[in-house]
Amino acid sequence: MRKLIAFLIKFSVVILFILLELLSFGLIVNNNGYQKSVFFSSSNTVLASLYEISNSVVEFFYLRQANNGLAYENTRLNNEIIELKNQLNSLKPLMGDSTNPVYVQPENEISYIYAKVIHNSTNKMLNYITLNKGSRDGIRVDMGVVNEEGVVGIVSKVTEKFSVVIPVLNPKLQINSKFKKNNYSGPIVWEGKDYRFAKLNDIARHVKFSLGDSLITSGYTYSFPEGILIGTVDDFIIQESDAYYNIRVKLAVNFRTLSHVRVINYLNYEEQRKLEQSVSSQ
Amino acid sequence: MIIFLQNIVRFILLILIQVFVLNNIRFSGFINPYIYILFILLLPVRFPRWISLILGFALGLIIDSFTNTPGVHAFATVLIAYLRNPVINAFISVEEGANPVPGLHSFGVSAFVKYLISLVVIHHTAFYFLEVFSFHDAGITLMRIVLNSFVTITILLGIQSFKKGKL
Repeated sequence: MRKLIAFLIKFSVVILFILLELLSFGLIVNNNGYQKSVFFSSSNTVLASLYEISNSVVEFFYLRQANNGLAYENTRLNNEIIELKNQLNSLKPLMGDSTNPVYVQPENEISYIYAKVIHNSTNKMLNYITLNKGSRDGIRVDMGVVNEEGVVGIVSKVTEKFSVVIPVLNPKLQINSKFKKNNYSGPIVWEGKDYRFAKLNDIARHVKFSLGDSLITSGYTYSFPEGILIGTVDDFIIQESDAYYNIRVKLAVNFRTLSHVRVINYLNYEEQRKLEQSVSSQ
Repeated sequence: MIIFLQNIVRFILLILIQVFVLNNIRFSGFINPYIYILFILLLPVRFPRWISLILGFALGLIIDSFTNTPGVHAFATVLIAYLRNPVINAFISVEEGANPVPGLHSFGVSAFVKYLISLVVIHHTAFYFLEVFSFHDAGITLMRIVLNSFVTITILLGIQSFKKGKL
């Protein structure tokens, strides 16, 4: 017993070293799953508040870009309103004075939650974005995040007042995309090299496309409705022996200047998920 | 007592600079130097090793919390907190009873630079490989390690030469 204690004292530093390293390694490995601890993350209230303060200073320098984006989107929405009004006016004579309830298209069953980016990185392998809205504003895990340019990412962690988004610039996220013109789909993954480009996989060699073609969300997930722009084809190569194209995609969103985003709230989320689960559990 | 206070201030200051300034560098998409390890590097030579291990773990975990990478910084920082003493012994022989704070003056320029380079490279290597968590595309990871080690070492030497051996 005495020898054991002497041994423990002699090697106490080594033992402590090994213990701490195992603990760190455990944290790293655990983080690769979906059950992540909210405590050691930037959605922790204390840390997020610090980020919010620092952002309130830095935000000032990006006001011009944010303004341009908003003005652009404003114009686009105004045009859309005018167009819809015209359509409505032209259809009114056909309707007569019937009072049928308006049928809402299934694709329209989404609403947006507006949020501000309070922390963002583009220079790491695993980039994350912190938003200033959380569960009390209606944000849920798995919601899609977009801005006026296109797809930003998916919500991965939520606390009461804050949430953390996994952006496209993180290899943990694969976004299902398709060509706007012919509907062939494949996942888009970031490779960790350049914040402007990502890679599109699984496009077979018989598919016809050209440089500059738009890639949009496929609408097969709960996170994004169909048709939101992800990026455009920037470059592609295919070897004689390859079955699939190697496609480089220019991302629509400029992640360096990200300041305001919209979180997509899919109103029928619960119902669709329950229905699909009940089928798969049978 | 003064050394104690100095270290507390240094701990907080380095975290703030790391998280709010250096983690936001937007140059070339590869550069993200980690200077917070200066805290571990500048602990007195005879500082109890078990405390420096725990401090390294705490420091790493705080940085991790800000960057959403639980455990990665903690692992790398505990590693250099442990390897610090062997590395010091390899480059310099500290007199019996003396307890100098590592620095350009106390160690001499050549020994201190060697000490700095070895630990920064060890830390960055462990960190960047654990961050990617694979040896796929090791070329890019190696490039990150080399570039960032260079930037970190340059910044740290800059800070140290400004202080003239005082802090």
